Amino acid sequence: IHTSTHLNWQYPTTGIPYLATKCVDVRKNQVGSKWFMPWGPSQCEKKIQDFSEAKDQDIGTNDIVFAIHIPHPNWQMSPWFQFLLVILQFDIIYTAQNPIRQGAMVTLDVSLGYRDDQVSEWTEIAHSMEKRKLTCNFTSLKIDDGRQYDCELLPFMELGSVTHKYYLINMRLPVNEDKFINLQIGQLKDIRFVAIHQNGGFTKVWFAMKTFLTPSILIILVWYWRRITMIIFVLGISMTFINIPVEWFSIGFNWTWMLLFGDIRQGIFYSILLSFWIIFCGEHLMDQSERNRLSVYWKQVVPIAFGSLCLFSFDMCERGVQLKNPFYSIWATDVGTELAMAFIIVAGICACLYFLFLCFMVFQVFRNISGKRCSLPAMSKVRRLHYQGLIFRFKFLMLVTLTCAAMTVTFFIISQVNEGHWKWGDFTVQVNSAFFTGIYGMWNLYVFAIMFLYAPSHKCYSDAGHADISGSGEELQLTTTITHADGPTEIYRLAGKEAQE
Amino acid sequence: MSFDGSSWLTGFGFYLQRTAAVRLLAQGVLHAGCTPARLTMTGLQVLLAAAILSSCSQCLVQANSWWSLAMNPIQRPEMYIIGAQPLCSQLTGLSQGQRKLCQLYQDHMVFIGEGAKTGIKECQYQFRQRRWNCSTVDNTSVFGRVMQIGSRETAFTYSISAAGVVNAISRACREGELSTCGCSRAARPKDLPRDWLWGGCGDNAEYGYRFAKEFVDAREREKNYPKGSLEHSRTLMNLQNNEAGRRAVYNLADVACKCHGVSGSCSLKTCWLQLADFRKVGDLLKEKYDSAAAMKINRKGKLELVNSRFNPPTADDLVYIDQSPDYCVKNETTGSLGTTGRLCNKTSEGMDGCKLMCCGRGYDQFKNTQIERCHCKFHWCCYVKCRKCSKVVDQFVCK
Repeated sequence: IHTSTHLNWQYPTTGIPYLATKCVDVRKNQVGSKWFMPWGPSQCEKKIQDFSEAKDQDIGTNDIVFAIHIPHPNWQMSPWFQFLLVILQFDIIYTAQNPIRQGAMVTLDVSLGYRDDQVSEWTEIAHSMEKRKLTCNFTSLKIDDGRQYDCELLPFMELGSVTHKYYLINMRLPVNEDKFINLQIGQLKDIRFVAIHQNGGFTKVWFAMKTFLTPSILIILVWYWRRITMIIFVLGISMTFINIPVEWFSIGFNWTWMLLFGDIRQGIFYSILLSFWIIFCGEHLMDQSERNRLSVYWKQVVPIAFGSLCLFSFDMCERGVQLKNPFYSIWATDVGTELAMAFIIVAGICACLYFLFLCFMVFQVFRNISGKRCSLPAMSKVRRLHYQGLIFRFKFLMLVTLTCAAMTVTFFIISQVNEGHWKWGDFTVQVNSAFFTGIYGMWNLYVFAIMFLYAPSHKCYSDAGHADISGSGEELQLTTTITHADGPTEIYRLAGKEAQE
Repeated sequence: MSFDGSSWLTGFGFYLQRTAAVRLLAQGVLHAGCTPARLTMTGLQVLLAAAILSSCSQCLVQANSWWSLAMNPIQRPEMYIIGAQPLCSQLTGLSQGQRKLCQLYQDHMVFIGEGAKTGIKECQYQFRQRRWNCSTVDNTSVFGRVMQIGSRETAFTYSISAAGVVNAISRACREGELSTCGCSRAARPKDLPRDWLWGGCGDNAEYGYRFAKEFVDAREREKNYPKGSLEHSRTLMNLQNNEAGRRAVYNLADVACKCHGVSGSCSLKTCWLQLADFRKVGDLLKEKYDSAAAMKINRKGKLELVNSRFNPPTADDLVYIDQSPDYCVKNETTGSLGTTGRLCNKTSEGMDGCKLMCCGRGYDQFKNTQIERCHCKFHWCCYVKCRKCSKVVDQFVCK
């Protein structure tokens, strides 16, 4: 017999299911902390298979400890896994006498420990009392005693680095009748956990890619830094900021803030990219006013800034607090959920506003373009070429941007729809690591292309129509650096020659 | 019935050696909550006697089945670290191929036993209101002679127990109880950490499915009946039903997913397979039982529909080759236990109603004082405090 270990390395992440072992705390007076191992030589002295045994043997509810060891026997975790996300699911059985109360909360007394070899004592990472809201219902129409509820997955824990080899989670569901804690939550059958981590193989590919991309963007940034406009320069900088493979340090150091840092870097890049599109459209409005500064576009930039700020606050509330308490989840409480939803909704509104502005600007540009088209034959040759160049480069970037965006959205949708295929092993479409690396590479290429193709900004031309000497020098240089004369450079070459005459 | 004296004697000798086992069986029956209704009336002695009687007649007839793993407690493999053989040779009911698998995968045996037990329990739940109520009669052949008939009920029993094994093995995988499961390929431990680092583990349900296929089907595969014979058709039927049971578990397994991208967005999403509650598997297989297809063997040695107007069954469907015996009356030849002594519902029009259950023989009425728990206080594990209430109920028992 062969196990089905198809190597799913093509996936960026893996989720591994665990079933909590029910250990019994047999100590008389439970002073001090004690760790309960689900298996192995130092496993807990007493285990129960199901809770009917607890009743028979007179075991108190508060003495039952749910234990899981991550990973499974004979394995160890590795820093290459980058993060560890644990989610929780309750298997609760319906009985007419003991159903789940509406809006029931469970209170969890959780602790997380680690060790780096098989024999030493467990060291505590965190200990906390957490509350989670139970959302359980029935999918089948038949409701009779002994049928299992379908309970939603609950967020449990998130670690921003996996520097230790073994992790142990011990959890109790303390019952307190006076304070009405953990009462009327139905009859529990099992507690399941799923531990999600990034695949080591994917991490390596990802790191390699970042390490390779950093210098390529950096070099071209340095090469063109005098000639490109401010916004393209900033775009290049933010791309480099994302690219710099600081994650290498997470292999050696216990930097739990790496997840948060990664989110911030991505956030910065997105806001710069969105600003870039606004300014790029503005530059091509061709109404001859000064539009090179960000301040001119305050109307469009405010939604970007505000939206990013919202997402940043959300991230700080979730992952920021998780630095201190890995069990924290903003979604666990009603207030937290409302706050999180508020952040996300405001960010969504900002995004809508932004896209409205952007679409309006694009519309304006196209209107101006068609207006200019009509008057083109009447212009001098230099001026005509200048405008033709502008139109071409706008259309070209428009096309490239739309293609990139469309591909990103397509991949995203495929990754969302894909779960149906996931089950059968014969995956028709795979959301694999290649998607992620592909998208990432594509946007890098996009930034690279922008710097490469749009290095000499059209501001070099004076609007009067006579040639600017310094500008033409640059354009000549451009023709020598680009051997493959494609669309816009061809026009620049022509424009340059004209300008020299 | 006609059996020659010697085998009867061996059977008896067997019985003498196995009294302890029979007692165990009685406990098992009580424990599993599958008590035939007559128990309430006549008490434990009658049941014991019946069990002894039936086990005695059964053990001669045939067929220890691997189902017996459900009946005898299997010691945890830790106890057998040194002497690997005893466990597998002690287990009765394994075929040759299954015994080999047992030696290779000793730690799986406990869970196969558990799986069979879950299957039998579920069978008894699904058939609690029917004339044949899936009761176990002894702990070697387990269900007795009825299983020799290739009926719908047999089809259901085979499928649900195969499903139980898939369920139990997959579950054990998840608990980390099996050395060869999930993330690992047992023979090459040195390669594994790299694979694991590179791409995590395989999936448990698939392992459960494959192991169950190998183990449960081993029995059928090692038989070598002439093509087209009755025995061959029975083998084909069993294989089909085993597969249907395994598939029920696998088909009902859900894909659960979790988003965990930037700021909790869905840019990254991880999915895993999650087994359904076994009750759902039971429900599905019961539906398949109701729509099971009657088959016969053709000249090519394959099963074909008796009534060719129907759609041919798929791999998910149950098939049967014989008509069900009459479960109304006790019959030694078919192994039917009869419904005499079963509880019935006077007001019900369904199968559990006295009219149908008692097959027109009528019923006796008893007044019974029941003591039950009431006004209980519950915690999430169990009830913690109850009062005892007694009430008088009318019980109807088939003649």
